[in-house]
Amino acid sequence: MPDDVIDFPLRVEALGLTRGSRPVLRNITTSFRKGVVTAVVGPSGAGKSSLLRCLNRLEEPDTGSVTLEGIDIRSLEPTALRRRVGMIFQTPVIFEGGVRANLLYGLPDQKEEKLSAALEAAGLPAAFLDRESSALSVGQAQRVCIARALVRDPEVILMDEPTSALDRDATARIESLLGSLLERELTIVLVTHDLGQARRVARSGILLMDGTVVAEGDVDQIEAAWPGEELS
Amino acid sequence: MIHAAIHVAIALLLVGVAIIVSRGQRLRLENDLLIATIRALVQLVAVAAVIHLIFSSLGLSAAALFVMLGAASWTAGHRLKGIPGGPVLALTAISTAAGTALLVLFGGRVFPLTPQYVIPIAGMLIGNCMTATSVSGVRFKEELMDKSLELEARLALGLRAKQALTTYTRRATSIALIPTIDATKNVGLIVLPGAFVGTILGGGSPFRAAQIQLIVLFMLLGAVSLASMTTTLLVSRVFIGPGERVVLPEEPRP
Repeated sequence: MPDDVIDFPLRVEALGLTRGSRPVLRNITTSFRKGVVTAVVGPSGAGKSSLLRCLNRLEEPDTGSVTLEGIDIRSLEPTALRRRVGMIFQTPVIFEGGVRANLLYGLPDQKEEKLSAALEAAGLPAAFLDRESSALSVGQAQRVCIARALVRDPEVILMDEPTSALDRDATARIESLLGSLLERELTIVLVTHDLGQARRVARSGILLMDGTVVAEGDVDQIEAAWPGEELS
Repeated sequence: MIHAAIHVAIALLLVGVAIIVSRGQRLRLENDLLIATIRALVQLVAVAAVIHLIFSSLGLSAAALFVMLGAASWTAGHRLKGIPGGPVLALTAISTAAGTALLVLFGGRVFPLTPQYVIPIAGMLIGNCMTATSVSGVRFKEELMDKSLELEARLALGLRAKQALTTYTRRATSIALIPTIDATKNVGLIVLPGAFVGTILGGGSPFRAAQIQLIVLFMLLGAVSLASMTTTLLVSRVFIGPGERVVLPEEPRP
C-alpha cells in the first residue's frame, strides 16, 4: 500500500451532493490523516453532517468518490464498511436492554474481555457491562455508544457533534477520551461548530461553508479563514 | 312483505315514543331523530335492492367485488400519502390478504360459493384489511420519521437495512392488530358479536352461532395479520435504498 494511503486512509474526491434542487456539498476533495483528529467546522447548514454521512454511505453522493485504504467504498459491502467506519451521533442512541446488550447489538457473541476493554477504552469501568441503560447519564450513554463502536474494531470513527447534548464536565471527559482513542491508530473525523473544541482536540481541520471547503490545514489556519465571529 | 313492513312499523313506534318524550322534555331532538329514521329507511331499502340485484347475477357480483376492492385500496392508499406508490401498495396488501382468506374459506368449502356468501364475507374481509393496511402503513411511516436517528444508529452499526427496520415493522404491525386481537380475546365476554347474534336471530342454534362466529373471527384475525405484515413488508421495500440505506420520504435533516 502506498505511504500516502497508509497515512491518509480516508479520502474524498470531487464529492457532490444535491438534496432536492439544493446543492449540499460542492466538489469536495480532502483527506483524513490516520492517528489524528480532523475537525470539520462550519456554520449550520454548511454540509458538515452530510459530508460525514457520505463517509459511511448513510448518504449517497451524486458525484465523486470516497476511498478507504485506496478502495472505493461503493465496492465494499455496506454493512462491513460501517463496522470499519463507526459513527457517533449528536444525541446518544441507546437501544433496549442493558449496556452489554447494547455493545453486542447486531454482533455475534463476543468475548467478555473484548467488551470490558471497549468500555474501559471509552472511559467506563468494566462493571458497567451489567448496568441498565436507563441508569446511564447522557455523558455515560455517549461513552457507551463509543464503546459500542469500538467493539467492532473500527479503523475510522466519525463523530457528529458528539458533545452538543452534554454538559461541560461530560464534554471534557469525551474530549480527553479522544486523545486516548488515538493510541489505537484510529482516524477520527469530528464535526463541530465549536472552534474552541476543534482547537482543544484536533490537529487539523476543514472549514466548510455552503457545501464548499474554504480552508484546510491546522486549526489556526481554519480560524484565520473564518470570516465572522467565533464559530461557537 | 306486508308482514315485514308491519314488523318495521312496530319497531318504528319506539322512535315515535322517543320523539314524543323529546318534545315533552323540550330536548329539541325531534328533527335529528326524524332525519336519522328517514335516512336509515331510505339507505337500507336502497342497499337491500342493490344487493338483491347483485345476488341475482354472477357478473354483477364480480363487479361489486372489484368496486369494493378499488374503494378500499383508494381509501387506504390515500392514507399512505408520502409513501411512493401508496395506492398500488394498498391494493396489493388488501387483495393478497383478503384473496388468501377467500381462497381458503371457499376453497375449503367452509361456505357455499354463491354470491349470497361471497359478497358479505368479501366485504367484511376487505373492510377489515383496509383498516389494517392504513393503520400499519401510517404507523410504520410515523415510527420511522420519529425514530430516524435511532434507525440511522442501527445502520451505522452495520445492520442490514431490513434488520434495522425490524423493530419498527414489529411495532406498526402489532398496533394494527390490537383491535382484532382484543376482539378475538374478549369475544362473548363484553357483547355478543354480530355474526353470533345474526345467526341466533336467523333461527340458528347457539352452537351454530358460535361456529359461524369462530369462522368469522379466525378469518378476520388471519386476514388482518396478513394485510398488516404485507403492508409493512412492502413499505420497507419502498424505503430501502441502494447501499443498505433507508431513504425516508422527507429526510428530517438539514
